[in-house]
Amino acid sequence: MELELVRQRVFEEKPGFPRQYGPDRTDRQPGQPFWPHEVYRDLVLILLMVAILFLLSAAITPPVGPAKDPTIQPFIVPDWYLLFSWGLLKVAEIFPTGVIPDPLGNGLLGPVSVDTGFWGDILTSLPVIPLFLLPLLDRGREERPAKAPLRSALGLYLIAWIFSSSLYAINNLVIEKWPFIGGDDTLKWFFVIPPLYVGIASYVGLRRLGYREMYWWRVIPIGVALWLFSVQALDTFVLQPLDAGRSLGAHAATLALPQIQGLAFIVLMLFAVMVVTFYAVTFLDERRARALLKPFFVVWIVLFLLVGKFIESTQPASFDFILHQTIPSMHLLYGAPIFVLITAYVGLREPYSAYEYLLNECYQCGKCHTACPVTKVEDDALGGLNLVYNTFKKQHDGVPLWTCLACDACSAVCPLDIKYSDYILEERAKALAVGPPSGRAS
Amino acid sequence: MAKLLPRDPVGRGNRFLFGWIKERFPTVPWADVTRQSVETVQRQLPRSHTEKYELKTVWYWYPLYCLGGISFIAFLVTVITGIILGFYYVPDGTDIFTSAGIPTNAAKLSVACINGDSDCPWSPVPFGFIIRGMHHWAAHMMIAAVFLHMCRVYFTGAYKKPRELNWLLGVILLLLTLLFGYSGYLLPGNDLSGGAATIGINMSKASPGPPWLGEFVANLLFAGTDVLTANYILRMYWFHVFILPLVGTLLMILHMALVWVQGVAEPH
Repeated sequence: MELELVRQRVFEEKPGFPRQYGPDRTDRQPGQPFWPHEVYRDLVLILLMVAILFLLSAAITPPVGPAKDPTIQPFIVPDWYLLFSWGLLKVAEIFPTGVIPDPLGNGLLGPVSVDTGFWGDILTSLPVIPLFLLPLLDRGREERPAKAPLRSALGLYLIAWIFSSSLYAINNLVIEKWPFIGGDDTLKWFFVIPPLYVGIASYVGLRRLGYREMYWWRVIPIGVALWLFSVQALDTFVLQPLDAGRSLGAHAATLALPQIQGLAFIVLMLFAVMVVTFYAVTFLDERRARALLKPFFVVWIVLFLLVGKFIESTQPASFDFILHQTIPSMHLLYGAPIFVLITAYVGLREPYSAYEYLLNECYQCGKCHTACPVTKVEDDALGGLNLVYNTFKKQHDGVPLWTCLACDACSAVCPLDIKYSDYILEERAKALAVGPPSGRAS
Repeated sequence: MAKLLPRDPVGRGNRFLFGWIKERFPTVPWADVTRQSVETVQRQLPRSHTEKYELKTVWYWYPLYCLGGISFIAFLVTVITGIILGFYYVPDGTDIFTSAGIPTNAAKLSVACINGDSDCPWSPVPFGFIIRGMHHWAAHMMIAAVFLHMCRVYFTGAYKKPRELNWLLGVILLLLTLLFGYSGYLLPGNDLSGGAATIGINMSKASPGPPWLGEFVANLLFAGTDVLTANYILRMYWFHVFILPLVGTLLMILHMALVWVQGVAEPH
């Protein structure tokens, strides 16, 4: 049969195409047998794990501690995996309390007393409910984290939130160890601000990885962080001293004190890095912004550490003063600059690596090769060529850069929607933008 | 005469014993059926995406695909060591006082004997500290692996159709694992146990709902609503060694059977 021959030539031995068709297939489930293939490999891993457990238990014996005493209430720290619940129980005191009256009057449905324990239970079950609802709300097919930036960022946000609540569980220890932290309120803000930083920065970075439109996703988060930082700095330097009832003249006199000057210098440095980053992502194109910010960040971080070390070693009193002034509002004074640094870095990463990430999705089905008209006439493309995969691996140029017709037939048949011709056009544009190779001065 | 002699007189005795059992408990057909079903191609492990398409690229998330298996193996280790610990542990939290007036209880003393501590009133358990240490660290490893396994499934979107049911099973298993850990560290009768049980009583009493609900839950789980009674250790022991292992093992078998049937979700 002609058709049989054609099918053999096209499909036979090509990865991804079954060798038999129809209900008579016998190679339906050609998997690895569990015995002995999987068992041997798993046994090695299991023995390794048991060996690690033996080593751990021989080296670190978990202590038992004193017996429970019915007369005293001991200070305990639960195991790490329950810390979040303990922290939520502690923070529940900020919620209003009261009693919901009994609707029937026979004690069946009430009265419900809304107290700290009530809110603690509700808060502990809060992270569990979205886990149950997740598969019902988020449909579609499975995707890489970079292809679903919102879901991934939400997940990281939740993880950061759980870390924050675990931290709040040991608030007594933290305040005892670092008394200048500014008390409980600073730790309470950990529930709100750091998880947001984590979520937004990872969303921006994942959008970048997925090669999406980026401009506003760099400008708005960095701009808002800059604005919040400015308000906080203004509050620390101007509003709080004036509120305390000092006259403007006395305030100006305090500003001349050396520790105030050190504080102002540190805050100005933090302000500078944010302003420069905001300027770069707003008014410069990506390439220039990268060229400006990369060396600037490195120099700035080194300079900042050196200045901090210098103040600590020469004026310890000023250093303590700066810590006491800035740490209570560290979520904005230190958190915002760190957030800006990271967001600018992940939001401005080179697009070439982003394209490589997209090409990396190829699983070599070979459909692009079958569809590509150029491979039918190019001599060196007649073998087992695979446009996307080979391009990604740089083993073969796929369809050579300037021979591609950009007809988009490959993208049309690609089961993963890899935009190969977009990539080719981008590469051509880049090649042209850089200019002709050296030797042909123009 | 020759016709009456058996062809294989040596094997006769073997067949006599096993034949007697087999007549009454015919295992052979079942063993054959099992072997056939295991050895047919349909029952083999499904090929992974990498194997199916003969890929040269391996996705860098693949090492994280072993976390569910690690938590199961850690569970098996806790089961084995837990069975051994069960021989020596005394689930009795009644406060008794030493001659110096220091409170203690039988649960704490039995754990001290397992650990080989100096306050052990009976004979210490040989290598008990290794068994208890393995139980402890394997439990921590299991919980950490379950958390990370859940993160992996979430971030790769592996809970989507047709695996929604398995995700829900997994969430229930996560909660069971946390309860395993909680009921486990309430058992030794030490100060951590007493403090954590007090928090547990308060949280169950505050169950959102009418007062009788919270009191019922606290009475069921901790044998008391206002003060810590000695019986909370027995209640937690029953949860820890019977109810949770029973429900947990059943759900784990279901969880892994679903993975086997549906295959591993691999994002493209």
